[in-house]
Amino acid sequence: MSTRWYPIYQRGNPQLRVFLPNFWMKLIRPTEEQPANVVTFAVSTEMTKYDVKNYLEKIYKIPVVEVRTRIALGDTKRDQTYGYVTKKDDVKLAYVTMPKTEAFTFPDMFASKAEKQEKDEKSMDESKAGFKKFLDRNKKRPGTPGWYSI
Amino acid sequence: MSSALVKCFNLAKAVKTVAFRSFLGTSTSTIQSWSPAATVGALSTKCGLHTSYPMRQEKLLMEFFDDPKHWSENEVKVGRAWKTDELRIKSNKELHQLWYILLKERNMLLTMEHECNEKMEMFPNPERIDKVKISMENLETVVRERNKAFHLLETGETGERPQRQVKNAFGLPMVYRSCEHALPPFMNTKWIKSRHVSCGGRAVQKFLLKYREKLYNAKRKAKNRSRNEVMMILRRNPNFDLNLLRNRFPDVDIDKLRQTDKTRGHYVPKVDV
Repeated sequence: MSTRWYPIYQRGNPQLRVFLPNFWMKLIRPTEEQPANVVTFAVSTEMTKYDVKNYLEKIYKIPVVEVRTRIALGDTKRDQTYGYVTKKDDVKLAYVTMPKTEAFTFPDMFASKAEKQEKDEKSMDESKAGFKKFLDRNKKRPGTPGWYSI
Repeated sequence: MSSALVKCFNLAKAVKTVAFRSFLGTSTSTIQSWSPAATVGALSTKCGLHTSYPMRQEKLLMEFFDDPKHWSENEVKVGRAWKTDELRIKSNKELHQLWYILLKERNMLLTMEHECNEKMEMFPNPERIDKVKISMENLETVVRERNKAFHLLETGETGERPQRQVKNAFGLPMVYRSCEHALPPFMNTKWIKSRHVSCGGRAVQKFLLKYREKLYNAKRKAKNRSRNEVMMILRRNPNFDLNLLRNRFPDVDIDKLRQTDKTRGHYVPKVDV
């Protein structure tokens, strides 16, 4: 398709016109400690620094000062039983510097998860106990609906 | 009983809103009224792509994350992907906007999935990623159709990338998708060298001979197999429907086979009076 096939020359400027980009970017938690205005992204391997900058500025409207990229080697792992080696894909990491005034901290998304789970379990236990009570009460008169008596 | 009443009331309300929405034919409301729920959230919250933003940019980076109320959920309910038929009735501008919405949605889901994997947590409803992918594929199909139609009207060509059959290093046919070069072909020696990689040598000829023999044998065996099958059918069922056989095995000469001894069973043939 012509949107995926860039001609060497076309009339008018800019020469490279991207209509439907299919690059992906994911914001990842930095492994090392970094300044507050630096954000780490994992991006499509074929993206360049300029691509990353344009992507963030044009699509997300995020001001970008500098982009540094590197390709991180995927982990290799030897199978315990058969001894063959598997490798995960390489991934391009982009370290994006925003202006000094900006700051970004990676959010802690699972802070309230344990609390919520406990609550869920409690309500589940309650409903289980209620059903058991109902069954006990109806032992001698099976098939009676729940609203029949108190 | 009261809950049933409330449900009925809500249903009536929903029906009313749907009817109201469907009557709105304005271009601004079309996306929202047609959006499947897979992107409803994204559309309603992130539709303001080209509007002004507050100065603090931290909020913009939060577009890479899901809604905070979904962070600790075990299940996030979403609808289905966009279908091609729904996308065909959209304008080019709307498709363009939707593409970026889907792109952002995909980035968000990938970010969330990555973080969940890092923290050894369950990623709720991973099929959301597939749904976005399907939507994007469908959207691209629709854009491609339009592109093709436009090019055919304007230039008489499809506008697709031109491709032709060439032979690869093993002498086997391969589809070569052409691309533009700065130099014309006769000057581009590097390209010429890259195109003609030892094709047509003695080893290639030897390989091709054996390869063709293999293909021929496969074909011959298939032919023999169907012939034998027809023969066995005729031997066991002397009154079999010949037209059915002719349809089923078009490349077997059934009239000729009927004459052979092998199609006759071990019984005295019935002579019609």
